Amino acid sequence: MRRYLDFIGNVCLFALRAARRVMVRPFEFQMILRQIEVAGWKSLPLVLSSGFALGLVLALHTRTTLVQFGAEAVMPSVQSLAFFNEIGPLLAGLLMAGRVGAGIGAELANMRATEQIDAIEVLSIDSFKLLVVPRIVACSIALPILTVFMDVMGLAGGYLAERVTSDISVQLYVSRAFHSVSWAAFVPPTLKTAVFGAVIGLISSYLGYTTDEGAEGVGRAATNSVVLSSLAIILIDVVLVKAIFFLFPETAI
Amino acid sequence: MNGGDSPAIAFREVCRSFGGRAVLNNVSFQVGPGEAFCLLGRSGMGKSVTLKLAIGLIQPDAGAIYVENDNIVGMDEDGLSKVRSRVGFLFQSAALFDSFTLHDNLAVPLKRLWDKKPDEEIEAIVQKNLDDVGLGKDGHKMPSELSGGMRKRAGLARALMLDPSILLVDEPVSGLDRVTASEIDDLLLRVRKRDNTAMVIVTHDTREARRLGDRIGILNDGNLIAVGGIDELAKNQSPLVRALVSEAE
Repeated sequence: MRRYLDFIGNVCLFALRAARRVMVRPFEFQMILRQIEVAGWKSLPLVLSSGFALGLVLALHTRTTLVQFGAEAVMPSVQSLAFFNEIGPLLAGLLMAGRVGAGIGAELANMRATEQIDAIEVLSIDSFKLLVVPRIVACSIALPILTVFMDVMGLAGGYLAERVTSDISVQLYVSRAFHSVSWAAFVPPTLKTAVFGAVIGLISSYLGYTTDEGAEGVGRAATNSVVLSSLAIILIDVVLVKAIFFLFPETAI
Repeated sequence: MNGGDSPAIAFREVCRSFGGRAVLNNVSFQVGPGEAFCLLGRSGMGKSVTLKLAIGLIQPDAGAIYVENDNIVGMDEDGLSKVRSRVGFLFQSAALFDSFTLHDNLAVPLKRLWDKKPDEEIEAIVQKNLDDVGLGKDGHKMPSELSGGMRKRAGLARALMLDPSILLVDEPVSGLDRVTASEIDDLLLRVRKRDNTAMVIVTHDTREARRLGDRIGILNDGNLIAVGGIDELAKNQSPLVRALVSEAE
């Protein structure tokens, strides 16, 4: 138990250090852009294909149930609310934890094991500011954008499933999909993924940057980054959903 | 530590242990400006730890460490950063940044520390340092494309980017064949002759220590058991010291 509390305490101190350093010059715009490319642009194919496939499957399953109640007309609304509120943000977060979290953990642990982080320090460069802060910032910028793509592809997959079984037009599908979606149902859940992104960047960077186990620590940092980041975003999601319901009561359907 | 002729590096009764095991035990020595000091000893005797202590990557449990006039023990990050800008460090593995080209590996410290310097000036310095180590045409290569000897030379070029007055060198020839090792030693000798750079060179290669060092210190089980010129050490009472020194005879 004490080990877990120690870990949480250390991650919190790491987060405070990152919050302080993000305010200090130089602002590392180049490194942030580079990391957005790694975390965002290079994750896009995975997010697009996963969103489309999941949208398709979800529509196929949901349709069967809705038909039993003669409610297939609400299919697009169900699809959009499911994706905008929960599936898009959470799935994009889990995919990023898997792809980017593992990458950050392994990369930083490898840099530690091969003395590259020490080399940065001896060149009078703040390694924390150069390596950790841009990764956290980049993840928290990239994930909301990826979530929007995930949502759009989820609806596209849903439309394809609908199109196969009915003659619904794109215009009607889109109109029905957005009929019951307010900005409050779209913006807060999308923006909560900025927190997910920061948590993924934070935990993965912490595990990679602080490893002291040499080459063996590289694999461990990668695995633990995925496991702990995924677990953390699922737990934080519960808190954020409650907070969104509190702040935007109309979204609590 | 005052005065114009203060040592480049001075250790005063430095102790450091890891997990209850004393790696350095009351180690004291000093290296004068422009002097080359070799730390010789078997593997795991605390040689690399000594170098990391000298640049503040590790803090000692006790004692004082002076870099020129500054005691770096307990110094904050800003202070350490200023001290480090006067010290170069060649890592055993060269520690080149994997994701940068060789050119960018060298340009990074200049771009970060001299953000007002024009790019052309930085380019010229990078090219000159690459030329100096014989890698003038390899700037576009990634570290993974370089051989062991090239990586060491690249690491040396990067260590010299900020014109350090002190150079710390960790096992410069380990893992290299005799010819390539000799080329690296030649480079170090040339740098020292050209820039009058003080050097602390950690090695387990007696032949290299004899070639590069003005003085040699022998580390064993965390203790500096002998310091002196090669002739002095050859007459030392300790069989270990004599054995280490005679390896290269």
